[in-house]
Amino acid sequence: MNWFKVLLVPIALTSQLAAAEVAVIVHPSNAAAADQAEITRLFTGRGTTFAGGAKATPLNLAESAALRADFDSKVLGKSSSQMKAYWSKLVFTGKGTPPKELADDAAMKAAVAADPTAIGYIDASAVDASVKVIGKF
Amino acid sequence: MKKSIAGIAVVLALSCSQLQAETEISGFASVVGGKVLSGTGVEEFGLEPTFLANYPTVGFYNEEWTFNPDSKYGLQISSELTEGLTATAQMVGRGADDYTAKFEWAYLSYQVNEHWTIQAGKKRLPLYYYSDFFDVSYAYLWIRPPADNYTWQIFNYNGVNAQFNYQLDEWAVSGNIYTGQEDDTTNKLLSEFFGSEPVREIWKNIVGGVLSFNRDWFDLRLTYMTYENERFRGGVPVLWNGEDSRRGKFAGISTNIDYNNWILLSELNRLTLDGSDFDTYLVSGGYRINEWTPYVSYADFDSEGEVHSTTSVGVRWDFHSSAAFKLQYDDVTDDGYDGGQVAGDSKSITFGIDLVF
Repeated sequence: MNWFKVLLVPIALTSQLAAAEVAVIVHPSNAAAADQAEITRLFTGRGTTFAGGAKATPLNLAESAALRADFDSKVLGKSSSQMKAYWSKLVFTGKGTPPKELADDAAMKAAVAADPTAIGYIDASAVDASVKVIGKF
Repeated sequence: MKKSIAGIAVVLALSCSQLQAETEISGFASVVGGKVLSGTGVEEFGLEPTFLANYPTVGFYNEEWTFNPDSKYGLQISSELTEGLTATAQMVGRGADDYTAKFEWAYLSYQVNEHWTIQAGKKRLPLYYYSDFFDVSYAYLWIRPPADNYTWQIFNYNGVNAQFNYQLDEWAVSGNIYTGQEDDTTNKLLSEFFGSEPVREIWKNIVGGVLSFNRDWFDLRLTYMTYENERFRGGVPVLWNGEDSRRGKFAGISTNIDYNNWILLSELNRLTLDGSDFDTYLVSGGYRINEWTPYVSYADFDSEGEVHSTTSVGVRWDFHSSAAFKLQYDDVTDDGYDGGQVAGDSKSITFGIDLVF
């Protein structure tokens, strides 16, 4: 995969040489702050509330979205395969359920803008006033 | 295997709830083939060269290619009945059992609060680190958790489980407490491999707990379980020192490190049964190079008379986001004495694909 990227990125995506910047977003009314450790906690099922105690609903992008792999590696520090193995263990032992998945940035942005408990992520270039950015990676 | 009332309730709840509730279906599968390259067998038992890869389900390879011992599939259906109450059932079919699907898990789960969940029904016994996801090979490094450690004849129980999840500073602390029993009317391992007549194996008054500490790249797990064992061979109670039951106590510690693509896995366990110690340990190391993870492993079993170990070398290739190819070589040394041999020495090759969906 990485060799693929090395070879294909300069050819196919001449306008975008570096990996996309990931913006972690919440509802504009959400005042909670979350650092990388906190975001990792929520997206690995180890916590279900923001630091202030309010309920948190993590939302993931589907594997077909290019930004998903960037989020997994930059924010969670794992490959998408490692995350899949991690969740498989929890799902089939009744210890956890992975975050709901959305198809793309537009669906993610709409879902976060509509849910005060949501936390998700989109390409930093797609951010607008309907959501609030709490971290860029 | 006996059906539990809770198990039946779960299946009923699932079949009735399909229309109104949110139902999730997921699954896993492994297709693995292999053969023994060379082996001694055990002359005393008239056993040909054999690699016993899976003790509980009696999955073994011999000198002919076979796909049965490690291949399996599982299907899980989980349905939220009301807020916080979920019914889950998992059917598993294994090549070692002619792929006949059986309910391995069937339980109701109630989320009490952010930290605690109570479950009741039929579940896997979470004895060793890999016990409760033993069948989900995609979730771990090797073709199978090292056979020398995962030798126990009972792997399910019917009962109640309370699990918890807390965050203490940088540490995620999780675990569970469980109690229950299992009455396996025709135990496969004892009836077929270690004997020739039907053995009914009962583990009752099971009480156990697991405590895990997880921080970034470090994972520590402690496990303890105690139970009462009763056994009937050909319908006749087996006596141990004149008693028809004996107590077992199991304790284990596991540490795992996943740092800068280096992986180090270890387990150390002791079962004390009727005054005898059964000691097991494993240590595995791997290094992740993009989608490839080569690994080495050593696992050991040591008790009075039964002594065996396995050295393994293999590679995992994550060629797809939901599937992995694995190739593994296992070298088993059987140093059993006084009738304590299992399957003799063997050198085997196995390979296959694990997937989840």
